[in-house]
Amino acid sequence: MKEENETRQSILARLIPGFVSLTKHGPSGWMVIIGLAIVVVIVVMTAIAPWVAPHDPIKSNVGPLASPPSWQFPMGTTALGQDMLSRILFGGSTMLQVSAISVLICFVIGVPLGLFSAYVGGNLDKTFSLIIDAVYAFPGLVIAIAIAAVLGPGVVNMALSIAVVYIPSYFRIIRSQVLSIKELTYVEAAKSIGAKWHSILFKYIFPNVVPSIVTVATVNFADAVLTAAGLTFIGLGVSVSIPDWGYDLTKGRELLSNGGWWVITFPGVMIILLALGFTFIGEGLSELLNPKLQR
Amino acid sequence: MANRMETIIIVLVLISIVVSAATVYYSTNMLANITALSDQVTSLQDALEAKLASLETTLVVGTTDSVELTLDPAQAYDYFGWNIMQQIGDTLVSVSPGSATGTDFVADLATAWNASSDLKTWDFELRSGVYLSDNVEFNASHVKYSFDRAIALIPSIPEGAPAGLGYDLIINHTEVLSTYKVRFVLNFPFAPFLGILATRSSAIVDPKYAPQAQVNYTASSARNSTPLAFVGPYVLSEWNRVAGRDLEIKLDANPNYWNIASGYPKIKHIIFKFYSDSSTLRLAIGAGDVDMAYRQIAALDAQDLETNPNVKVWHGKGTFIQYFCFQTKRAPFNETKVRVAVAAALNRSTVTETVFLGTASPAYSIIPPGMLGSTEAFSILGDANYTYTKSLLAELGYDETNKLTFDLWYESSGHYPQSDAQALLYKEALEASGVISVTLKNADWASYKLNRDQEIMDAYVYGWYPDYLDPDDYAFLYWASWLHTNYANSTQVSLYDQARATTNTTLRTQLYAQIDDMAAEQCSVVPLFVSTTLAVTKPNVYGVYLDITMDMRYWLISK
Amino acid sequence: MGLRTYIITRIILTIPTLLLLLTAVFLIMRVLPGDPVALHFEKKATPETMEALRHILGLDKPLWQQYLDYVWGVIDIGYLIQHGYPNLGKSMQVTTEDVGGQIFSAFPATLELAIYAIIIAVVIGVLLGVASSKKYNSVPDHIIREFGIITYAVPIFFLGIILQLIFGVYLRWLPTGLRIAPTVEPPVSITGLYTIDSLIEGNLYKFIESVKALLLPSFTLGIILSGVFVRLTRTNMLETLRLEFVTAARARGLKESTVTYRYALRNAFLPVLTMMGLQFALLLGGAVLTETTFSWPGLGRYIVTRINFRDYTAIQGAVVMFGLFVTLVSLVVDILYAYLDPRIRL
Repeated sequence: MKEENETRQSILARLIPGFVSLTKHGPSGWMVIIGLAIVVVIVVMTAIAPWVAPHDPIKSNVGPLASPPSWQFPMGTTALGQDMLSRILFGGSTMLQVSAISVLICFVIGVPLGLFSAYVGGNLDKTFSLIIDAVYAFPGLVIAIAIAAVLGPGVVNMALSIAVVYIPSYFRIIRSQVLSIKELTYVEAAKSIGAKWHSILFKYIFPNVVPSIVTVATVNFADAVLTAAGLTFIGLGVSVSIPDWGYDLTKGRELLSNGGWWVITFPGVMIILLALGFTFIGEGLSELLNPKLQR
Repeated sequence: MANRMETIIIVLVLISIVVSAATVYYSTNMLANITALSDQVTSLQDALEAKLASLETTLVVGTTDSVELTLDPAQAYDYFGWNIMQQIGDTLVSVSPGSATGTDFVADLATAWNASSDLKTWDFELRSGVYLSDNVEFNASHVKYSFDRAIALIPSIPEGAPAGLGYDLIINHTEVLSTYKVRFVLNFPFAPFLGILATRSSAIVDPKYAPQAQVNYTASSARNSTPLAFVGPYVLSEWNRVAGRDLEIKLDANPNYWNIASGYPKIKHIIFKFYSDSSTLRLAIGAGDVDMAYRQIAALDAQDLETNPNVKVWHGKGTFIQYFCFQTKRAPFNETKVRVAVAAALNRSTVTETVFLGTASPAYSIIPPGMLGSTEAFSILGDANYTYTKSLLAELGYDETNKLTFDLWYESSGHYPQSDAQALLYKEALEASGVISVTLKNADWASYKLNRDQEIMDAYVYGWYPDYLDPDDYAFLYWASWLHTNYANSTQVSLYDQARATTNTTLRTQLYAQIDDMAAEQCSVVPLFVSTTLAVTKPNVYGVYLDITMDMRYWLISK
Repeated sequence: MGLRTYIITRIILTIPTLLLLLTAVFLIMRVLPGDPVALHFEKKATPETMEALRHILGLDKPLWQQYLDYVWGVIDIGYLIQHGYPNLGKSMQVTTEDVGGQIFSAFPATLELAIYAIIIAVVIGVLLGVASSKKYNSVPDHIIREFGIITYAVPIFFLGIILQLIFGVYLRWLPTGLRIAPTVEPPVSITGLYTIDSLIEGNLYKFIESVKALLLPSFTLGIILSGVFVRLTRTNMLETLRLEFVTAARARGLKESTVTYRYALRNAFLPVLTMMGLQFALLLGGAVLTETTFSWPGLGRYIVTRINFRDYTAIQGAVVMFGLFVTLVSLVVDILYAYLDPRIRL
């Protein structure tokens, strides 16, 4: 009993240290804090947008068409005369949702699959690996377009396209980790004293795999944001009646070739910031949790 | 020591990223000199060729189009394929450059023509002294061969232009009356026959290169890649494709051109270069990488380039229209009043001004303005005529608390220009009435077409490019079965059939006006706007005609 | 198991993987709403004409027969020898062209871009990563780390168009797109790579022109990818530099640069090699966004346009080819890895 509590305690102690203790861990700790701060600010900004935004983000002709930032429109207007500031405030929601849902799907499918397959081993493992390799070798673009065409555009479907491409990565990383852990002596010892497979898996193996999962998840988040922007670029984004940074980034390209920098730059910076936030968290955490780097 | 090395490396790498571009530029100059000095004749020749190209003899045209399939008149049905074919081949008649109506035909390979009174027999006198390659003189047998071939290939090329235009349905047979006289016998009286003869699918082929099987693109030989007789102002000298898309097309002045006395073509060499989308094309013309940019120029680009002293923007009429379609087989659009109410709430000028920045004009008839039979029929409904909308809908029980709700679909893969922006504005205009609520839905082109055929869309936006310039190729859109609006009107159809059976322009105008008036009462299909054509060139380029045919006649262009 | 058995097993395993891919894409394409036949008829089309085209394209045959015909065509070695590319059927959009021919004509452009992009990414990434690892926790280390992170977070078409504007429009140093300037004749195609072909031809002018056109797209891609290599090299170097044999080498009095590059980097390079292989394989699928931004006639754009036309054969062919590349590259990388690191045997 006590042992179990201690194991849980150790996971928590490594995953969610208090902010104060984070700062004690040097620059890596600071990276995590900054990353979290960026993400939290963006989430909050998107949440309070309906109350704070000065204009309706999709209403056209609220201002002159494609006008540069001014006092009235601090971030300028789009080619349809929409207010950029309002669109920036509202526009993160699609990306946040897409990345969150895709990470969730990957987690729910990829992690158990990898754990199970590697632990059981044998032919089951070989079969799963083969299938996952095939999925990995399938161009993600084709999957994305196929899903969008069959299921229609939308947040969940974009997340699904991204998740399908990422699950192999989760699977592979977890599988290689489990493969090396399961040969360790203390796991053998546990088996010899008759521990059930599920307690071995969750008490001994899973906690050691968590750091890699966390790292991959944050990279997944960042990549999902960028992939969502890329999918919108080729026309697979959400409907035009939903303000979206990726949409403005795509449309802003046309304006940029004509000298209008504001429609592409502000969403571009926001997308970079969001991706950065997730990456900082991932970088920092991977350094903190990587035992080989502890002096 | 080691630390300093590292710092130096970092600094060097970071600087080199910025400096490498400059290095290439300068080293290009340096190496070019060294090459000339060290007597590498090939390099010198190429450099010389490039310089020559920049003189008045070559025009570099940038475009986002690409030949879709082949340059075979029996198959090609795409704009760009037809455009290239127009430069190298010829038809019996063509439309005069600068035409406003699309029906002022001029002599091309035919010098005179007349039709029987029942419009079923058409005789043409052909031009003498026109030579195909190898000194074979053009005569009536070539005309017969071309049309017989086109019709014979219809079963094996069902998606081609002759099939789509109905050559086998229209033409009964072609007769050689004498060396320079040919006769077409039609199956029914067809007034717009000259229009059909002016299209690219009626171009004359050279039997030597036109077997009775379609001719495909041959990578190594431009001459063997098209069956067309090279009787036009240019010959195809090079055609390179990669993965089904054009990489390079080169046209050179045709020494055997029958109209060479006119001084055309002015520019002796044309090089086409293919860009992926309008933004990259716009950058290319802005940077001076090409002399001319044609299709597609976005409205924003045109607006910005107007003020750019390094380029000239050309505007012209267009014939591409877009229109609203309603699914009339079920609620809510089975009620005529609902369709009329929605049509009245539309605001065309906001769309043409906001989305297209004036490069499109509102359309109040399915026939483009300037063409025979065009009217302003739909203007009786007004634009953003909310009082009318509200009163009509109120009769059916719709008001602010019980709004008319429906889905408006648009295609989202770039098949039509700015579909998403258009849809947004239509939704706004309709919802501004206060009694309508619109949900926007989108699908990529293939799914959109499927949805149309399966009739699952309540309201959708569609577009139309004409094959030939006659109201005959527009008016039927009001009831076209392939639009799947499930709307039929036998009165309109009979008016239409009467109009195509006479050449009396007054009568035809009356008939089309009647069709328009009925359409405005029924609103099965509501015309939205007509596009204009845009081209951008360097300031030293002249002779760009952007007329109602939307054909770019490159032989008229000069520097 | 020995190295030879490992290689043979892996090669044999690629066949079921590819078959799985082929079947998957075959089914996916037919599940997609939309009909390639209908897309040929923009305007009026009667059921008879559509049926005629359907028959010509072979789409009226039962599904299993289409599948078998297709698989039979792919493994047709005679065709492969005769044409230089496998029989992947005729495109359903450009019905006059072979899919195999189309893919192989688009491939060199993508290959050239991928090669130069990877070279740039690895050179920048490894050098910066090594430099950063030597100065762990110092200011340059942080700057380089930020560089590595930020570059990867930049959307590629954003960076692309900015570079185009600076170097193409304002400075007019480099072309804004295409593989070579419009007025220059491309070199005679031997490998399909303009740079190599122009050198083979001995034509320095064409070589320089093709390099000029390559610079912007490969730099854009390269800089963005370098971030991955910076971080990877840095992490691995940090681990390796702590190992005992490095301290021993230093104790023996070897120069720091020798220790860094000859000893530490060699060992840290293996994961970089793996990543190089993976990224290269992904790039071979065609960097759609880069190709669109720079009008580069490669496979990425090909795939996107073909899906829009529901060109079954083209997408099947592209997926199979792409799968083949990825599997081959992973195989080569894994073999290299197993060869270089004796600890790894599966």
